[in-house]
Amino acid sequence: MKGIPTVLITVSPEVSAQMRPPRALYPKGFKIGNSLGRPGMRDLQKKVLREALELLSQNTRPGEVVTIEYPEYGEQYEPPRVKKLG
Amino acid sequence: MTISRKCVPFTPFERELSKTTIAIVTAGGVHLKDQEPFNIADELGDLTYREIPPDVDSSQLMVTHHHYDHSDADEDINVVFPIDVLRDLESEGFIGGIAKKHIGYMGYTMQLKAMYEGTAREIANEIDKGSRADAVVLTGG
Repeated sequence: MKGIPTVLITVSPEVSAQMRPPRALYPKGFKIGNSLGRPGMRDLQKKVLREALELLSQNTRPGEVVTIEYPEYGEQYEPPRVKKLG
Repeated sequence: MTISRKCVPFTPFERELSKTTIAIVTAGGVHLKDQEPFNIADELGDLTYREIPPDVDSSQLMVTHHHYDHSDADEDINVVFPIDVLRDLESEGFIGGIAKKHIGYMGYTMQLKAMYEGTAREIANEIDKGSRADAVVLTGG
């Protein structure tokens, strides 16, 4: 197996960053359960997926999560934070 | 939990998107209604995964996952498993095609080592064997 390029769409950017994904998109303010947007918002879902796929060929830094804003999503949510121990 | 010190397993992408076949792998607990649901009764989680065919009718998909609110996915599975969105992108010529296999698993587990060293590798092998995917989109819940 020679490996296959991946891109992650995450709504928990801090949690995902701990695993240092090769490429990742955080659609800012999307809640858990809405990785691509809200139900029925096909244009927004397409935009998120298109921009995630475009990260495959962009010069991103492996291990970092790229944040993109999508105002059309509407109400924004705080992502879960990583609990600091000690 | 600290940041992984393992090397980032970065595989370069050297194709044009319009000639690229895409697979979806989701940790969002997605499976076909007639497949065995994930075991949410086991507090350790479920290490199994389900193969989802490329021609699936998205109304035949459902979510079994008790660690996120999937009511929006119940209404439109594309919010976590964008198979219809991928079809739109294929018909627009933005991507080249849709892979022959997609994978759903339940991302919640207390068995991290088994998930990382077992399930993740099995899923990678599934995609590698006969999916014809050139790249993978990963989603959580």
